Amino acid sequence: MISLEALKLKLERIPVVSGGQAVRISLLSLVLSFIIFSVFLSIEGANPIDAYTNIFSFAFDPNLGLPTTLHRGLFLLFSTLAFIIPYSARLWNVGMEGQFYLGTIGAFAVAYSLPTLHPALLISLMLLSGALFGAGYGALAGYLRGKLNVNEVVGCLMLNNIAFWLIYLLTVGGPWAGIAESTSRPLPPNAHAPMIFYTPFTSYLAVGIAVVLYIFLSKSVLGYKIRVLGNSPTAAQHIGINAPRTYILVMTIGGAIAGLSGYHMWAGDPAFLMIPRPEAYKAIGDLTYWGLIIGLVCLLNSLAAVPLSIFIGSIMTGSTVLVRRLRLPFGLDVLFLGLVSITFAAFQFFYMYRIRRMK
Amino acid sequence: MWPFIARSLEVATILLIAAIGELLNQRSGVINVGIEGLMLLGAAAGFITASIWGLIPAFVIGMMIGGLFGLIHSILSTSLKVNQVVSGMGIWLFAMGFVTYWADRYSGPLPRGVVSPRIYELSPMFFIALIIVIVMWFILSKTHLGLKIKSVGENPFAAEVSGVKVIRTRYLCTIIGGMLAGLSGAFLSTTYLGAWSHLPTKGLGWIAFALVMFSLWRPMILLGGSLIFGFIWQFAISPETIYAGIPAPLPILRMLPFIATIAVLIIISREKFRKKWALSKPEALGEPYIKE
Amino acid sequence: MGYEDMDGKIEGGETILEVRGLTKIYPGGVVALDNVDLEFKSGEIHAILGENGAGKTTLMNILFGVLQPDRGEIYMYGRKVRFRSPLDAINMGIGMVHQLRKLIPAHTVLENIILGHPRAGRILDFKKMRREVEELCGKYGFRINLDARVWQLSAGEQQLVEIIRALYRGAKILILDEPTSVLTPLEAEAFLNSLKTMSKQEIALVPFVTHKLPEVFAISDRVTILRKGRVVKRLETKDATMKALAEYMVGREVLFALSKPKVNIGEEILRVENLSAMNDKGLPAIRGVSFTIREGEIFGVAGVSGNGQQELAEVLAGLRRAETGKIIFMGKDITNAPVLERLKMGIGYIPSERLGVGVIGGFSLVENILMSLYFDKEFVNRGLLNYKKIREYAEKVVSEFEVVAPSINTKAAHLSGGNLQRLVLSRVIPRTSKLLIANLPTTGLDVAATEYVRKRLLDCKEMGMGVLLISDDLDEVLQLSDRIAPIYEGRFVSIIPAEEAKKEVVGAMMTGAYPGR
Repeated sequence: MISLEALKLKLERIPVVSGGQAVRISLLSLVLSFIIFSVFLSIEGANPIDAYTNIFSFAFDPNLGLPTTLHRGLFLLFSTLAFIIPYSARLWNVGMEGQFYLGTIGAFAVAYSLPTLHPALLISLMLLSGALFGAGYGALAGYLRGKLNVNEVVGCLMLNNIAFWLIYLLTVGGPWAGIAESTSRPLPPNAHAPMIFYTPFTSYLAVGIAVVLYIFLSKSVLGYKIRVLGNSPTAAQHIGINAPRTYILVMTIGGAIAGLSGYHMWAGDPAFLMIPRPEAYKAIGDLTYWGLIIGLVCLLNSLAAVPLSIFIGSIMTGSTVLVRRLRLPFGLDVLFLGLVSITFAAFQFFYMYRIRRMK
Repeated sequence: MWPFIARSLEVATILLIAAIGELLNQRSGVINVGIEGLMLLGAAAGFITASIWGLIPAFVIGMMIGGLFGLIHSILSTSLKVNQVVSGMGIWLFAMGFVTYWADRYSGPLPRGVVSPRIYELSPMFFIALIIVIVMWFILSKTHLGLKIKSVGENPFAAEVSGVKVIRTRYLCTIIGGMLAGLSGAFLSTTYLGAWSHLPTKGLGWIAFALVMFSLWRPMILLGGSLIFGFIWQFAISPETIYAGIPAPLPILRMLPFIATIAVLIIISREKFRKKWALSKPEALGEPYIKE
Repeated sequence: MGYEDMDGKIEGGETILEVRGLTKIYPGGVVALDNVDLEFKSGEIHAILGENGAGKTTLMNILFGVLQPDRGEIYMYGRKVRFRSPLDAINMGIGMVHQLRKLIPAHTVLENIILGHPRAGRILDFKKMRREVEELCGKYGFRINLDARVWQLSAGEQQLVEIIRALYRGAKILILDEPTSVLTPLEAEAFLNSLKTMSKQEIALVPFVTHKLPEVFAISDRVTILRKGRVVKRLETKDATMKALAEYMVGREVLFALSKPKVNIGEEILRVENLSAMNDKGLPAIRGVSFTIREGEIFGVAGVSGNGQQELAEVLAGLRRAETGKIIFMGKDITNAPVLERLKMGIGYIPSERLGVGVIGGFSLVENILMSLYFDKEFVNRGLLNYKKIREYAEKVVSEFEVVAPSINTKAAHLSGGNLQRLVLSRVIPRTSKLLIANLPTTGLDVAATEYVRKRLLDCKEMGMGVLLISDDLDEVLQLSDRIAPIYEGRFVSIIPAEEAKKEVVGAMMTGAYPGR
């Protein structure tokens, strides 16, 4: 069978991987996924170098893809931060999708009810509402885990599916339905997010939250307690940390952050400004799982998550050019993302072990 | 009424085949959260194969691709010691992207003539699923192999000391689990749906995953659970076959299976069941096996 | 073959297993074994003695096929062999009984015994194998319920299952890892008898022992002492003394008796009245325990693991609910007060588990010490940790408790056992003002580290703290305590002042043999 001893190689455990090493490993995995993707590109008859040049020049061109790159990238940042906090306590928040949907509902409910409110007030309320709805949904998952000991991965996934149908209920032939029966009504103009340098203000909000979270986790008492809990629930119990309460807390915070992304996503992109058809909003919802990948790759460092999220956003934006401009088959862009996911996951191995040759 | 029951049993078949595979690898200590992804891959592979070569090759190819990714999950989590949840999620996300690219161009129904034989509207796969469950039950409770598998899932160090090859056993169980998930997906797309749409599994894989947990890792309980959830799922899709003019709007019904899952999860977390559940759970589930 | 001499000990017969020139060097240059020669004869009990780090574990792992030696040969019945895996060793007739049981708790005894057995076939024929196992048990006089689930068994019974498993696989030589460390005196006696029976049946027995030196005398015919990977002495057991053995193990004179400082016993700190609590399985673990502890006093609870001590420590620390009874600390009722409150009141708890509980491996020394500081306003400024002050404090205690590490930023996982315990002490003791609960503080530590920990406990006493010492080492309890309470099945058999305590009496009380007072 696959035995390292047979190959005269030895597995050496790395106690802790340094930031520099992590960066190198991530770069390597990205390179690998680029190489594998090139194979697919060639099969479809495209020149890989050509394709990649197109992708990145599009993604970072201020007149073309840059706004979308930043928008999507910072959307991913919200998801990543929503994953990082609970995971610091070793909770798998894979419920970002559902929390994002609930945040959407929260924000839109306010916008539809108070469309004529002054923009500053309306938007603030929308954000607050989105965060609260997301927080509530996160708290629900946290409660299931903290007090009822329900496995949080399964719990979150169930909640995600339920939330998907909730939006469906409201938009497709429902109270929020627009003219096209399966999308929602457009958002009132006062709800649109003001842009600052190609991107909605919520992008900067995300970065701000990243900084706050970084300080929170590394320097605050509560952040310390969360990390102790994540490292050893038994040790945490011995020093008086209340596990169920902390689990609910981290999931609530995570949910709130993911909830904010609801406003950011729909009100921050002029191409939307409403809730689109179910296929479309589900596609965006599926993007939230990137929070998991990015969070793990940057070793739960909120600051490192910022550039990485933007980079992945650029790949997302840029690869649409493959389908549109280069007329390559539909789905290649999603494929690329899928490849990046699996290689990132596989390269986690190098965060833990070194391969050395045996004497 | 009968058509509804037949369809429910087909959903139950989908759940059962995927879940019994997951039960097997969980019994050996490996958790595979990518089961939804494996089903997707099997569904896509099966559908495309069926369009070209027919139904039986579809199932075979579906199983093979499921087995392939089961192997990948094994390599990542058992040999490379990547966290099993990370590995599973990575495979799921990859599957979502890959399947969209690969199969969405074939959206639509299967070509004419490629239709599953049915006995009174029920596909024979249902009976195959029952056989698989019974075989699995027999292996786990009556054979030496079953004892070895269970021991690997409970305490791989103790198993190793008795001469059981832990790594090999985990690979075997994960690959077979993957094959069954792939088969389940192929059945979903070719027979139950008969047409391709974007990401057709719609959360069924996650319900199958949850079912394994409810079943206390016992094949017979899993059978019961699959039947119940097959019914709930089908009811959510076509309630009018049971109650004409049902008042609740469709989306709420579609939430039912997921709400029901959470409800069951809560019930089995109550004090009464918690002990039984904790005792049935393979003790080493989810833990990487690191020698020494 | 063998012959019985007058003491009933059998002189060894045929050499079953021999190792010559065994050497093992770990990456990094650590020499675990250095040119070790040993032989094991059938029917003989040949004990291997050594401290932690002396090479015992490595030797055991090589004999059992878990590790490969770098140099040297292994001979079975005179033929050179190589063990590539435990399976090779098992097939050659080597069996192992592990200190940390390698059994499947959820399975029955019978299932554990037959697992992996070549004769078990594909479809398990339980009837046939049950008969064979029962025959085997009859031959050696072993009594065990084959249908019990292993998690239901006591430590001694679990050990018996491992023995039967090895014998059923055809072991001719049994390696035993710390065989008596978790046995009650009664179980130890039964074990000793089974050793005698097995050696009469010409099984070679190799117990590996670290620090239960008295047992070496009871169980072995020959002793070989390892130190730093080398064989330093071979003795016939009858020619050995405890002091000599300890000195060979450690390499210098070892103080066995620490002088207890004369301290004035002060006010009452802790009063426990009729305390009862359950264990994790929902069964009563503590049944109506009452006692007091005063300033400057060490109160020793002596007992074999599993008699309620763990639960007692947990209830006092606030980790477990008290079902009935009262705990009064400094005049205040803290019976079910939360952990944090107790910590703030000056109660310190040294848990029995080091890595993962007392200390977090992935955290640095500073972050670990922070575990006992985070709730103190002195180190916290508006919700944020004052790292400057914390670091200063950490440097201070780390040097005071002689924790050896490159810096306070070193991760705890890099520390050795003795150092880890020093880290735990450095975290807990300076933050304890009134009552220290020390739960099995010297388990698994080598002689030097054990000495250090005991000295520290005496220091606490001198500082006027009350100390609750929970230990399974009777000598330790007798040495350090002012008053001793043997615990058996959740009750204190008696509470005896140290001057009046006799070792045999206390030992008997620990097994419930003595009705008390």
